[in-house]
Amino acid sequence: MANTNQLKVIYGDGTLGVGGNDFHYIFSYSRSGLESLVIGGKEWLYREPKPTFWRATTDNDRGNGFSKKSIQWLGADMFIDAKSIEIKINDQPIAFPGAPVNNRYSNHEFADQVAITYHYETLTIPSTTVTVGYTITPDGAIKVAVHYAGKKDLPELPVFGMRFIMPTKAVGYDYDGLSGETYPDRMAGGIPGVYHVDGLPVAKYLVPEDNGVHMQTNWVAITRNSTKNNADSSTAPFSLKFEKIGQPFAFSALPYTAEELENATHIEELPLPRRTVVSILGAVRGVGGIDSWGADVEPQYHIPADQDIDFDFMIKRG
Amino acid sequence: MRHETITQADIRWLDDPEVFRVNELPAHSDHRFYQSQREAQQGHSSYVQTLNGDWRFAYAKDPMSRQADFYQADYDTSNFDTIRVPGLIEFAGYNKIHYINTLYPWEGKEFRRPAYTMGPDQKEPGMFSEGKDNHVGAYVKKFTLAPALANHSVRIRFEGVETAMYAWLNGHFLGYAEDSFTPHEFDLTPYLTDGENTLAVEVFNRSTASFLEDQDMFRFFGIFRDVSLIAQPAVHLEDLAIKPTVNDDFQSGRLTVDAEFSGQQAGVVAHLSVADAAGNQLYETSSSADGDVRLTDTPFEKVHLWDNDDPYLYQLTITLTDQTGQVLEVVPYQFGFRRIEINQDKVIVLNGKRLIIKGVNRHEWDAESGRVVTMADMQQDIATFKKNNINAVRTCHYPDHISWYYLCDTNGIYMMAENNLESHGTWQKLGAVEPSYNVPGSVPQWQAAVLDRAKNNYETFKNHTSILFWSLGNESYAGDDIEAMNHYYKQVDPSRLVHYEGVFHNPKYKPTISDVESRMYATPAEIEDYLKDNPQKPFLLCEYMHDMGNSIGGMKSYMDLLDKYPMYQGGFIWDFIDQAVAVKDEVTGQKVLRYGGDFDDRVSDYEFSGDGLMFADRTEKPAMQEVRYYYGKY
Repeated sequence: MANTNQLKVIYGDGTLGVGGNDFHYIFSYSRSGLESLVIGGKEWLYREPKPTFWRATTDNDRGNGFSKKSIQWLGADMFIDAKSIEIKINDQPIAFPGAPVNNRYSNHEFADQVAITYHYETLTIPSTTVTVGYTITPDGAIKVAVHYAGKKDLPELPVFGMRFIMPTKAVGYDYDGLSGETYPDRMAGGIPGVYHVDGLPVAKYLVPEDNGVHMQTNWVAITRNSTKNNADSSTAPFSLKFEKIGQPFAFSALPYTAEELENATHIEELPLPRRTVVSILGAVRGVGGIDSWGADVEPQYHIPADQDIDFDFMIKRG
Repeated sequence: MRHETITQADIRWLDDPEVFRVNELPAHSDHRFYQSQREAQQGHSSYVQTLNGDWRFAYAKDPMSRQADFYQADYDTSNFDTIRVPGLIEFAGYNKIHYINTLYPWEGKEFRRPAYTMGPDQKEPGMFSEGKDNHVGAYVKKFTLAPALANHSVRIRFEGVETAMYAWLNGHFLGYAEDSFTPHEFDLTPYLTDGENTLAVEVFNRSTASFLEDQDMFRFFGIFRDVSLIAQPAVHLEDLAIKPTVNDDFQSGRLTVDAEFSGQQAGVVAHLSVADAAGNQLYETSSSADGDVRLTDTPFEKVHLWDNDDPYLYQLTITLTDQTGQVLEVVPYQFGFRRIEINQDKVIVLNGKRLIIKGVNRHEWDAESGRVVTMADMQQDIATFKKNNINAVRTCHYPDHISWYYLCDTNGIYMMAENNLESHGTWQKLGAVEPSYNVPGSVPQWQAAVLDRAKNNYETFKNHTSILFWSLGNESYAGDDIEAMNHYYKQVDPSRLVHYEGVFHNPKYKPTISDVESRMYATPAEIEDYLKDNPQKPFLLCEYMHDMGNSIGGMKSYMDLLDKYPMYQGGFIWDFIDQAVAVKDEVTGQKVLRYGGDFDDRVSDYEFSGDGLMFADRTEKPAMQEVRYYYGKY
């Protein structure tokens, strides 16, 4: 078959489709992100991945007032839109292929590389920008590069990363990183290795709060065995892998968003777990520990808002 | 020593800080005694009859509505319920479970000032004896003495009762006790009958003792530890003081054993023997068992020292025989040789080596039963300590179940044995130091009560090798009364160190209270400031690394101080286990863990009850691996 080592590009009126051997990705123009990520016939996205800025308030965050100081990032986390989108084919910028510009294309468009970059603006005062670039190669690998533009006068960030919400609950995950739950100021006890975790455990802190972060990760593979597709009753497991490019990343894999955790006062108030929330994190704030009524996290474990943050990773078939 | 026996109970004792024990037998060593060597080996004494189990129970919401004459021998208790002993009245469903931290549990409901803090005439009659929030539990237990106890003197021992209790046997008043966390013993002998006996115990939720028991914990009441009948042979080892010392060469030592015998019978001999851990007999001696006796004061040329790495214990056995040679009593006690002191460099040293405290604070907790803990809970906690390189425990903020001290001896856990004392709400309000009605402070009428607590703690646990520090209490500010407690410990026990943190808030007492500079939650920078500024005492953190929720970040900065400053001796993480209560979720039916405020309990400090390295179900929090790493590194 011709062109199997090239990507097929579909210049839709509302989306950009990128397909290949047993994978297909759809980038939405109106929904500010990657709307569909299908590998082996399985959809991996419930909603579009977006930058994430918020962690569910920890007891120490509450005690020292950090959540109040950084409250703008909660809004930014919940609501963010892309203000512009750029597309490159074979590393060359093209005119934005919306209608009717896209009339020039056909159903037989191929490329060696497709790159699409979303430019987000945060709903903060002042606003700053986050760009998320996806670069796809014919093997189906997606390179994701994330850039936060540092801005003076913004509060320190609780966290910075990309949040992927998957349609069903994972059966577990495997990762190459540190044992247990680790944070920048609490990772000396983490033992490097490859670990398997059953399900999506939530650390049962009395008041649900940020949990489950794994620092210094080389890769994490999420495994599911169910979909929302009414025509797919298979229970065979299938996986998606996030892999480091340069620096290791941090991640958490939980059945809840930060906002869902934030709103519960007890574990049993959390919704029934039905999805998978994977946060790939480029910057994590420490948890602190001196006390729970005012002591700040040590300064080296803060995330200053006025400095740029860059991180990247690959998404691959697991 | 017997004081004049009081024969009538008086409810007004609840209001009087100067009445805290009536007719109680004096506190004494916690040694166990057996009828034979065989019993001692099996750990089961036929001199002891447990009264644990189902008791009759009536609850009253306040003293005014209680059945005041329920203690009478012929009182009809057919309308009483049944309650489990040991157990907490809240867990039995009679009283609301309530958690509050520093404020008194009556906050916003009753206005109270401790007697005599507003002046010498402020006696506060009725504050508790007529307190509308002073709930009452009336307990009745019928028992027949087991044959093995018959024809002996018999006492009853309550190992823990919150907060104030009166007891009667067959209608005769036995006595009154406060200090919820140390044993109370009363002599039953004059009132026992051959057939069925009726024991009545009236437990009050509040008394003046409540001002001294303002620990950061769920507030409960009831008979929450074991109750036993204990028979004594004709001559009985009433008290025992084992004093092993280590010589300057750290190779040899001395063993002194002082004994106090009760009962009178001619020709009773006390045989003392010491064996090593392998059972080899090292030493034997005998002397007459009559009154107060020093059984031995003998050198040991070679001693195997006790510490966390190698908790080597010797076996002391004291056997009393009568003039026919028949065994009356066998008392086994394990002890270790170890030496704790502050050296010329103002560093705490154990057996000549710098002590590094890799500790935790441990409240007694079981999610299913509150402060009623089981042997399995305690054994599991020790296993968790060992697994995670925890070498020390502070019994925050009261004496623990007696078995815990034995477990710490055999497992080499360094103990800071704390008194049952916290009066936080009397001196700190909305975070500010405001000691206008602090007790015990320097109020003379409160001094005897806290000295009694110190004595109960010392006398009961003095033979435990694991105890390196006596702690005067927690967060009670400082004054003449706590100074007197310090003096007491120095007088009775020069072999151990005394700890108290509260003097930090009233530094004029620093020269006379506490051998160590103790702080809580000081930042690494504050600790360095102290250690760089001509420190007078070695430094430790009686509480640090507040593990509420997702915490324990930044531990490295504390551990680094160990490398830089010999006088920094480590600390006790706050704390070991979340206080949360297992209940069935009213919506899902699942078993869930609930915290302060979840029982409509107000005023509360809510989730502040959960600061443990362990979740309340005794599974480890994720942060434990960090503790394991750093505590294993030093």
